[in-house]
Amino acid sequence: MFALPEKESRAPSTCPGPASTQDLDSNCGDGLERECSRKPDQKLPELYGVGDPTAGFSSNSSHLSSRGGIIKWFWDSAEAGYRTYHMDEYDEDKNPSGIINLGTSENKLCFDLLSKRLSQSDMLRVEPALLQYPDWRGHLFLREEVARFLSFYCKSPAPLQAENVVVLNGCASVFSALATVLCEVGEAFLIPAPYYGAITQHVCLYGNVRLVSVYLDSEVTGPDTRPFQLTVEKLEMALQGANSQGIKVKGLILINPQNPLGDIYSPAELQNFLEFAKRHELHVMVDEVYMLSVFEESVGYRSVLSLERLPDPQRTHVMWATSKDFGMSGLRFGTLYTENRDVATAVASLCRYHGLSGLVQHQMAQLLRDRDWINQVYLPENHARLKAAHTYVAGELRALGIPFLSRGAGFFIWADLRKYLPEGSFEEERRLWRRFLDHKVLVSFGKAFECKEPGWFRLVFSDKAHRLCLGMQRVRQVLEGKSQVAEDPPACQTQEPRDRHRHAPLSAHPGECGTRNPGSTHLSTLPSLVCWLFPFKLISSWSQYGY
Amino acid sequence: MAGYKGPGLRREAHLCCDPTHPSLSSSQPVEAKTKAQGMSHQSDVLPCDQLRDQVIGNQSSHTQLMETLLHLRQTVDDCITQLTTRPPQLDLPLEEQRHNQATGEQEAFLRRVVNLLQSGAMWGLGLQAPRPTLGPRDDAGGGQQAQLSRQLDQLVHQLSHLEVAFVSHDLSNRGIDISAFERSKFQDFKTYQGDKYHEDKNTMGFINLGVSENKLCTDLMTERLSRSDMNHLEDALLQYSDQRGQPFLREEVARFLTYYCKSPARLDPENVVVLSGCCSVFSALATVLCDPGEALLTPTPFFGGLVMGSYLYSKVELMPVHLDSEITDGSARPFQLTVDKLEQALLEATLKGKKVRGLLLINPQNPLGDVYSRDSLEEYLEFAKRYNLHVIIDELYMLSVFDDSVTFRSVLSMESLPDPNRTHMIWGTSKDFGISGFRFGALYTHNKEVASAVSSFGFLNGISGITQYKLCRLLQDREWIDKVYLPTNHSRLKAAHRYITNKLKALKIPFLNRGSGLYVWMNLKEYLQPCTFEEELLLHHRFLGNKLILSPGKTYMCKEPGWFRLIFSDKPLPLKLAMHRFYEVLAEQKRDLRVKQLEDPQKE
Repeated sequence: MFALPEKESRAPSTCPGPASTQDLDSNCGDGLERECSRKPDQKLPELYGVGDPTAGFSSNSSHLSSRGGIIKWFWDSAEAGYRTYHMDEYDEDKNPSGIINLGTSENKLCFDLLSKRLSQSDMLRVEPALLQYPDWRGHLFLREEVARFLSFYCKSPAPLQAENVVVLNGCASVFSALATVLCEVGEAFLIPAPYYGAITQHVCLYGNVRLVSVYLDSEVTGPDTRPFQLTVEKLEMALQGANSQGIKVKGLILINPQNPLGDIYSPAELQNFLEFAKRHELHVMVDEVYMLSVFEESVGYRSVLSLERLPDPQRTHVMWATSKDFGMSGLRFGTLYTENRDVATAVASLCRYHGLSGLVQHQMAQLLRDRDWINQVYLPENHARLKAAHTYVAGELRALGIPFLSRGAGFFIWADLRKYLPEGSFEEERRLWRRFLDHKVLVSFGKAFECKEPGWFRLVFSDKAHRLCLGMQRVRQVLEGKSQVAEDPPACQTQEPRDRHRHAPLSAHPGECGTRNPGSTHLSTLPSLVCWLFPFKLISSWSQYGY
Repeated sequence: MAGYKGPGLRREAHLCCDPTHPSLSSSQPVEAKTKAQGMSHQSDVLPCDQLRDQVIGNQSSHTQLMETLLHLRQTVDDCITQLTTRPPQLDLPLEEQRHNQATGEQEAFLRRVVNLLQSGAMWGLGLQAPRPTLGPRDDAGGGQQAQLSRQLDQLVHQLSHLEVAFVSHDLSNRGIDISAFERSKFQDFKTYQGDKYHEDKNTMGFINLGVSENKLCTDLMTERLSRSDMNHLEDALLQYSDQRGQPFLREEVARFLTYYCKSPARLDPENVVVLSGCCSVFSALATVLCDPGEALLTPTPFFGGLVMGSYLYSKVELMPVHLDSEITDGSARPFQLTVDKLEQALLEATLKGKKVRGLLLINPQNPLGDVYSRDSLEEYLEFAKRYNLHVIIDELYMLSVFDDSVTFRSVLSMESLPDPNRTHMIWGTSKDFGISGFRFGALYTHNKEVASAVSSFGFLNGISGITQYKLCRLLQDREWIDKVYLPTNHSRLKAAHRYITNKLKALKIPFLNRGSGLYVWMNLKEYLQPCTFEEELLLHHRFLGNKLILSPGKTYMCKEPGWFRLIFSDKPLPLKLAMHRFYEVLAEQKRDLRVKQLEDPQKE
């Protein structure tokens, strides 16, 4: 409730933490020295990293509060990357030489189907109740529909309850609200990295909550069977590490299917992670926003809601949205499912900031109700188109001899471009990204996903064929023109689903993997704040647009 | 204690029956709620006297219980305040800091317990379904006893339940606060939702004249929104857009505001940010302008819903500038805001060690219905400039000025703003177009930094592309707005206002007659004896008991007990019924007061 001076008001308004001890007094405007002061890769231990998106930042604004300064800085960093694209967006007729966007994770393949469905007469109802203040959790008719929908598509053993559903304007809001009601200022969530980087901002803006990365390796070692595999051991180590730094970890975020890896957790793995969380009394937020975008049937995706018995149902919170699975990121519809009534109530009371128009709620209920259309029209067509687009991009990459990871889920391919970075630094990674952009194709680089190895890129393939072809053509131009084979080229065993495609070209560069000294990767050459800010630009720019 | 702090103010929070949260307004003090419940479920069964006895009986015991709780809480609050108001000791040895932290944690723990005790008590006792013991079969005395013990049992049960919840550590401190707040209202809300007035289906249900919604023009709005131009769909609407809002909508908002605010120069779409409702705009604005614990000055009485906006997420406090109903030197009308009062409030805040970052103005004012003159507006802005304060002006009711003789001046109509970089204007369609369910709010600010910072929230407080399109079409249709909607809306508002004010005049109830907004601010002091906030709340619950929802002045941080806000923008039928209930309650209240007066001397 209101009032009572709390810990928050005493705490510094930025995300506090050990990392902020590296602050310099420099202001936003003069960052020349700062880049040297901030060597994220040196200070980060191998196995985990405590995210501190605002370390080193100090505001000199006379108009904004100190947190306002940080928030603005988030925006500015987003702007810079995004502005370039938006000022020169590709358009088949009007701007054929504009930038092609393979960076934003949006499904643009099925607008025809959606537009037809959303224009049917049942969608267009307007009635007074929809125009007035709703139940903040969402209209009951919609929550009931969501419960039925999730029961069916998540294959829940028992029917899910409308009472456990809260409707918000997108999953970003769910993250924000959950972070606020589960954590105090400065507390943290564990998250396996690479991960969808915008979450950093979602949990920080209002909640002032941090993320502790559980670093995953491209190299397959020990008991691992695939690259970037998450294991309980890695979770344990990261948790211990964070604890040893005095950071209170309150929860674990799992994205399943994973973004950007496209990975899918098996039921056994899921169970293990949940058991781990239960042992340490951690909340688990499972983001299943791509659950219906598994286009490879053999993958056998299982929602956490399908598990017979959740180890700790009171601390398991599931989120889903129509943004990805129904290609409607602009619709802003997301939902939380939690059996924990305290959490549901607390999140619901924040819904006054995250509300959704009554008319749109009606449309969503109609859409989710229409199983015939979903099962017989939309999903089969969507999956077929995703598969075709994926096949095309995968083929292109293969032809270029680029190793990649893709598991038949999601809209993206996680590609290994390390062979194009002679020094294997994040600085080079950024420069390569810039070259792509100069050649009018926007992609996302690994640093934006907190990937600890430089050289990984995410390519989004869920776009129309003509744009995709042009985009891949530009990618090829950049890579073929600029291919610089390092003296000690990195190689790595990456694999595709079920090992169906082995890429030959890799074997041409038999090098060691993962031997780079992380210390050599800090950004020390570019003399401007802009460069120093770049990782954040990406975090905000793509992640905002690249879920 | 300053601003929204301390148990007293927390209590206000509980009382809040704000338009953003349709609720019976909740649960404090408990005895009152019990009374209301008693009445709501039996007023048709029990004779009035018997009921009153019963209520008075319950009242005293619950009051004791609540007082104990509040006292306990006050103690803890004071403790914490002492701790937190200590200046930060940066050079404190680490050990000691740790110690402090530990103490802080203990305090937090205690506070949570007390919080829960209180919310539990209120929740448990506040709004229970009618129990059999309340039924007419019980004789008054025995019934009371039984009921009391049962309620205590209930309380104990609730507490043990809550303790379990507490031990589970599922929520953070702030999460618990947020949740407790919601919970206290949740039951009320459910009760209201389950028993809403409907002209055919449920004529006995609650009539809500507490939530500020304009229901007079749903026919026009439904018709307009059903036209085919609204249903356009293109891929851009389904995809991520500019976080500040779709460019087409921001352009339209700029044009709209230029025209309706009579801006001397064309407003710039770059200065517009749209978010999901004015609550979101305010919350985002408060967050980027103030750090946690900092404060905004705000003249009271004022719309309490903004408190949540500033507090739930952003932990920004509001420092009241208390206005008087009495006309004194330097003021020409009741509750007049003057620069002197602003100066004084700022001084007081500063003396209390509060950092004040800005001034919040609502124009047309809610709940007073006041419209600031050009000169006063300029004075307030100059005052703010002198102290480098931001000014947030909420002009949510700017098109709901239905009396032609009232001239509303938007802050955007001023030739030159004293401090354009610190002046931020908020507007939305909720009130002026009666579509609160659309969740649309807009910020207009010349300050690019502020606009950018607020835009960061576009992802968390964004509006659906489809909704943005509809809003754009709506705002674009000047022909319809000027020739159909506004004239009809104003004449209906006028008629409803006239109806209500005539009723009030007939009842000899003083009220502010202002000609703008959707509400009448009236004085029911005469029905309170003694004139206290406790009595105000009892009267409020008496209205609830008679299935009528009004908002008591305390909700608006009014410093004088006895004021109520009544929303008149409802259809004639419910309005008429509501006034009938209103009359009934007041008549009953008057009877009781008379009985009380007769009894008092006898006791002596």
